[in-house]
Amino acid sequence: MGKLQLYEVFARRQRADRFEHIGCVEAPSSDLGRVYAWQTYDEAKWFEMIVAPRDAFHCVNRAEQPFTLHPSEEALT
Amino acid sequence: MARFTDEELMRKVQEGFIVESEADMTETYKKALIGQLTVQGDTELMSAPAYFMAAKDAPSTNTMVSATAIIQDELGHANIAYRLLEDLGVSRDELLYERPPARFKNPYGFDQPLVNWAELVTANGLYDRAGITLLGDVHRHTSYGPLKRGLVKVGMEENFHLRHGEVWMRRLCEAGGEARDMVQHAVDWMFPMGVEWFGMPDEKKHHNAQLDFKLKGMTNDQLRQTWLKAVVPLCDELAIDVPAHMNPDTEQIELEFEFPVQYDPGAKRWLFDEPITWDQVWDRWRARGPMNEEFVESVRRSRLSVEKMLAA
Ligand SMILES: [Fe+2]
Ligand SMILES: [Fe+2]
Repeated sequence: MGKLQLYEVFARRQRADRFEHIGCVEAPSSDLGRVYAWQTYDEAKWFEMIVAPRDAFHCVNRAEQPFTLHPSEEALT
Repeated sequence: MARFTDEELMRKVQEGFIVESEADMTETYKKALIGQLTVQGDTELMSAPAYFMAAKDAPSTNTMVSATAIIQDELGHANIAYRLLEDLGVSRDELLYERPPARFKNPYGFDQPLVNWAELVTANGLYDRAGITLLGDVHRHTSYGPLKRGLVKVGMEENFHLRHGEVWMRRLCEAGGEARDMVQHAVDWMFPMGVEWFGMPDEKKHHNAQLDFKLKGMTNDQLRQTWLKAVVPLCDELAIDVPAHMNPDTEQIELEFEFPVQYDPGAKRWLFDEPITWDQVWDRWRARGPMNEEFVESVRRSRLSVEKMLAA
């Protein structure tokens, strides 16, 4: 079904709210990632929802990668 | 791995430490968490074909919409559990597509056919209540941060499922006659199913890694009692008979049958005069209920055919 990629999903309920990390979806393209995110995380009437590929996130202060639970190899060796 | 020993991690989580990544875990912790998440994901997933089977009997387009919205939620919940498993290195493909149906870890109740609207809404009232009881406890107590966050959405949606069930059970009961009888029949076989859902009594279970590592907070009997204290008053209020009552002295709900007992899945009937041991319950669970293969097959069916079309 094409190469699947993880997209982290962020949303905020109302104007002036902060974005919150609400989950993640797996999709073969960012277009489908947006569709899956909107349909999966429909528990609120979000003011704004955004997705970004997981590998676009880089941890600043910890050895572990953000969202992933696998410790990054170079950081632990 | 192995930042901590098992004993250190047990102590830390009991003091409120939140595990955020694999580096915080021990092998034992990880194994217990994977076990818990597999049961959670399989239960959510297999509720979908069970509910779908009965949703076909929805009495109107509006009710069909609410039933399929619930099914969609359940698939989303399954996705949350399986995603967390993938982050722990478990292959979702293997879990979903390569396990024999008998290895799915959903409760016995979701191996049973739901054949009409009354059974669907009673399942919402009783089984989704069981889900809320179990996952609400996990949400409040779990030492695993990603799961605690993931369960926020699940909790909100499960409450909607429960409300759907209770409102409709009430509607059918108020209509009286055949509608009411159908709810009574559904409760007759689903109530003991719910009692069994929470597993072995505490006195038979000596050691529990999920409690030690604070992957949950309450014991099987405490969870069962919480469920009973919600379900029995609901049935009383609807004048639906259940074989259980509140003991005012102990303030505990007491069962009016010897538990556990044998079940006849073909007749959808509990054999109350046939008490069994927990080993026999396990045998029945392992033998699986009548819909196990068909339900697993139904969530797998179209994948191969779509893959073929995409490849063509
Ligand atoms: Fe669910
Ligand atoms: Fe549910």
